[in-house]
Amino acid sequence: MKRKGIGALVIVPLLSIIISFLIGCIVIAALGANPVDAMRYLLKGSFGNVRNLGTTFSRATPLIFTTLCACFAYRCGVFNLGGEGQFIIGAIIACYIATKAPFTGFPAILLCAVAGAAGGGLWAAIAGVLKVWRGQNEMIITIMLNYVATLLMGVVYTNWLRDGSVPQTVAVPDETQLPSFFGLRATVAFPVAVIAGIAIFYFLFYTSSGFQLRAVGLNMTAAKVNGFNVKRYLLMSFIVSGAIAGLGGALELLGTQLRLINGFAAGYGFDGVAMALIASLHPIAGIVVAIFFAALRVGSTTMQTATGVPTSVSDIIQALVIVFTVAGMAMVKLPEFKNRFARRARKEA
Amino acid sequence: MAVGTPQTEVLRMEHITKQFGSVYANRDINFDVRAGEVHTLLGENGAGKSTLMNVLFGLYQPTEGDIYVRGQKVKIESPSQAVKLGIGMVHQHFMLVEAMTVFENIILGDTRSKGIFIDQNARKKEITELSEKYGLDADLDQPITELAVGAQQRVEILKALYRGCDVLVLDEPTAALTDQEAEGLFEIMNKLKGEGKSVIFISHKMREVLRVSDRITILRAGQTVETVNIGEVSGEELANRMIGRELKPSQYIKADSSGETVAVLDHVSYHKNSKHNGLNDISLRVHRGEIVGIAGVDGNGQSQLAMLLTGNIAPEEGSMDLKESKVVRFDPNGFIQENVSHIPEDRNKAGLVGNMSVADNLVLKTTRDKRFSDGNGLHLKKKAIRNYALEMQEKYDIRCSSVDQESRNLSGGNQQKVILARELEASPDLLVAVHPTRGLDIGATRFIHDTVIMQRDLGCGVLLISADFDEILEVSDRILVMFEGRIMGEYSGKNPPIDEISHAMAGK
Amino acid sequence: MGSFIANLLLATVRMASPLIFLSLAELYSQRAGLVNIGIEGLAAIGSLTGFLVSLISGSPLLGVLAGALAGILVNMIFAYATITLCAEQIVYGMAINIFAPALAAFTYRVYFGSGSELVQVELMGTLKSMLGIKSDNFFVNLFLDQTPMVYLAFVLVILTAVYFTRTKAGLNYKAVGEYPKAAATIGINVIGIKYLSCVICGALAGIGGAYLTTCYSKTYVDGNVAGRGFIALAAVIFGRWSSGGVLVACLFFGFCDALQIRLQLVNNTLPYQFFQMIPYVATIVVLAIIGAKKAGPRASGQPYRKEER
Repeated sequence: MKRKGIGALVIVPLLSIIISFLIGCIVIAALGANPVDAMRYLLKGSFGNVRNLGTTFSRATPLIFTTLCACFAYRCGVFNLGGEGQFIIGAIIACYIATKAPFTGFPAILLCAVAGAAGGGLWAAIAGVLKVWRGQNEMIITIMLNYVATLLMGVVYTNWLRDGSVPQTVAVPDETQLPSFFGLRATVAFPVAVIAGIAIFYFLFYTSSGFQLRAVGLNMTAAKVNGFNVKRYLLMSFIVSGAIAGLGGALELLGTQLRLINGFAAGYGFDGVAMALIASLHPIAGIVVAIFFAALRVGSTTMQTATGVPTSVSDIIQALVIVFTVAGMAMVKLPEFKNRFARRARKEA
Repeated sequence: MAVGTPQTEVLRMEHITKQFGSVYANRDINFDVRAGEVHTLLGENGAGKSTLMNVLFGLYQPTEGDIYVRGQKVKIESPSQAVKLGIGMVHQHFMLVEAMTVFENIILGDTRSKGIFIDQNARKKEITELSEKYGLDADLDQPITELAVGAQQRVEILKALYRGCDVLVLDEPTAALTDQEAEGLFEIMNKLKGEGKSVIFISHKMREVLRVSDRITILRAGQTVETVNIGEVSGEELANRMIGRELKPSQYIKADSSGETVAVLDHVSYHKNSKHNGLNDISLRVHRGEIVGIAGVDGNGQSQLAMLLTGNIAPEEGSMDLKESKVVRFDPNGFIQENVSHIPEDRNKAGLVGNMSVADNLVLKTTRDKRFSDGNGLHLKKKAIRNYALEMQEKYDIRCSSVDQESRNLSGGNQQKVILARELEASPDLLVAVHPTRGLDIGATRFIHDTVIMQRDLGCGVLLISADFDEILEVSDRILVMFEGRIMGEYSGKNPPIDEISHAMAGK
Repeated sequence: MGSFIANLLLATVRMASPLIFLSLAELYSQRAGLVNIGIEGLAAIGSLTGFLVSLISGSPLLGVLAGALAGILVNMIFAYATITLCAEQIVYGMAINIFAPALAAFTYRVYFGSGSELVQVELMGTLKSMLGIKSDNFFVNLFLDQTPMVYLAFVLVILTAVYFTRTKAGLNYKAVGEYPKAAATIGINVIGIKYLSCVICGALAGIGGAYLTTCYSKTYVDGNVAGRGFIALAAVIFGRWSSGGVLVACLFFGFCDALQIRLQLVNNTLPYQFFQMIPYVATIVVLAIIGAKKAGPRASGQPYRKEER
């Protein structure tokens, strides 16, 4: 029974990816380019050499953070759609500390990371408090907070921390920038993200609190009756998921972007939700999915340069993957579907 | 439509068989209904009554057999077809839209009147005429949420009559009614008979069956046992034929109620003015080593009593003692720490986390325990948990293909056993069990009763809440009756005065 | 001061109109038991399609119709996944929110290339200009200086109210969202009505999006829906699932939107972004005040399965 479950969890996303790529290839052909060539350049651009690999990991890092944010929240039944806002708040706080603190280097990095995480957590807690005390659904509120955070960032880079006449902030001082990871284009933020994923996996599946948190997400009434402190876990999931996103934002600023600018973190939040769903909320699978989609994005610029196929094709492919994956997972759970499989299994037995 | 003579056959179901996989829910059933009669379908839980009616109402298709309406063979493939053929059904769980008014519910889905707009005046006039004819008074503009159960049932009957039914199926209609409301129902049934309508009355309650039926068809294990006219058999014979064996007095030795108390309620009130969801000045005690059975029709405050005794709600007036010390804080976790176990009313909503495995559900409350984790929950010992689950599987005879299976895939009886295992292994001082054998077959029921009695003998105090009167009689050492949030009386479980208790249950 | 308020009120009506379409879209969907959080995405594709067709054909009206069609087609994916496959509605709504804008952005890039110059399109004319009236009277402007879409929005509000309170079909429709099992036993076509609701929802959301590029702004940019799809969700809650209440809610949010633009113009001190935050913060405050969702259609959000044991 467990084997069959894993089969569905892996087969459905895999099939969705294949089908989406096929459709992507059809679109590419319709645009007048050679799909095989396009795919070749896609692969080359993402994994073809060490430099590109580093770029892929670098691109994947913020996505891993927002994916983990969505995973953790949704595991508790919390629809935290505010990953983007929490990411941005973390980056804003890190920007202030990095550019204004009287010290630089590792202590500054550490402070930025911690403060960024705390900021993200608090930003998410706004929605958390409203849910726990006013019973208000968190979806709309977290999304509204995304817009507020983005606008706030706008104030920061057009006004408060502006770098001269250009609409961007002052850069993070050299000593406070993140060192690179084994000489790759990716920074140490990447292994931090992976470690975060592993830690979350361990927490959810190997600790009592994680177990209870999952129970709350799966059946809140039963959790309450069995003595779990539901309010505490709900708040925890908001704050921790927000903190993860905030940490991601801080590290993205210190490692890759180095400045706040229009378009910082655009779409990362929703992407994270999509990837978490494709990965069936499994933290480790989420890391894999994030790397995969980062590869898609990075590779597509090479593809565009070489074949003229617009990069937005990769966005379409990613969007198609989620459309098919969620539909596929629902289909697999349908009783009619299960019966067909059961009948076949019985026949073979 | 001419009023048929009592001998006119209106409906006939011949050789109806309904299979679900290899299970026969109905096997070769023959059943007919005449105009102007009340024909009772009698049988225990699981005898196949509901299945047969679902076939009649078009919700299921029979595997074999035919249905004849007024002599014509028909195929009923949907409820709307059944309605067109003149068959109406009042389900046990009412099919009423709570947010809408009585009027709106009655005209819902009506296809006979013309036009896009609802002609309120014309329709209301029609309905009022109908309601007067059959004595079904109803305030048409009241929202359903404000109606008592008996009134809601009248709306359902009006709904069926409005659609022109000749045969009305009532599925366990008195399950949630007070005695007074039930009387009202029987009067309505008489009026229906007078107008030539037929009623198929489904029940397992002997007393009312004997009162209202013209004919009785007994179903047992999915098959027709026989059809008799009223007056041909006595209640006891009927009961025996229904169960297929002699009704024996309780096999359990009853305990004496004395000694230490585990739970005391002192003049507790909660939502005092609510008749169906409140507690009104309740005082009771549960001693160690005794089973206190709460008898009463569902919806008289039993749910609230259970929630209170497990710490899920706090009393608005009065106080509670747990193991002889006053309860200061009402929260489920606190009560669990004090060794209170709870078999909840709804096993799927509140008992189990369906998407988690059987093993996970067995250790749901004990993951911080030294046996199952290191460092007070910092590292779960998966292997230890699994071994424990295997132990429990054997001890409690839980039928499942693997302890790693999702618990929602188990049958009701086995799900209940998982909950039982979890709650009893904690060696509780107080066990609150609510409808623990609801929907279970005889074997599972017997198992659960045995296990609960065993706990009692080990010194646990048990509060058993059940709408199954026979269960209360079978298992309780003391019986309390609840009605509209109050305790109506206390009786010994040793030779319980059944009539007195029934009267108390109806509020007298 | 007088003209400030007058302009504010006129702008309120204009800004509320797309919200009305989007909110009604969600209303029809939820009344049939389907929570569709993908309105934002549907509006995006409606907005792009409206822009493109309006540009190519020269008729903003045709653009609106095309926007409606685009909304319907994309929402059919949602319909199939949630009604037939019983996917979780909120999850699938997110999928639409990712898919539809990506499709819109992609189509734009393919058609116009990646140039930074924004293509412009002609907007729909107002009734006042069509009738050739030249007046500056506030009331003339309020009632006549609006595009046909605005009138359509208000007419739809009235039609919706009548539909749900006075017609048989409307009553049956509501039953599907309240208690589908009961509706089915009475013979109401539950699945049919659910699919119908998705058609209406898709059409209205597409129209709401198309409004943005045919009546509001001459250009198309990614993300021009700017969260209106989510504000519409809040409007439905705020308006307690009645079309009249939804209208009031949309006027309120439209007012916030109009206010922030006007305040930006007269302001010299605060950075303009703080004003842009007003509609979003207002939404949060409103939701915080009105508290838990109390009166939605009872079976909203739950999958409907025809059961045979």
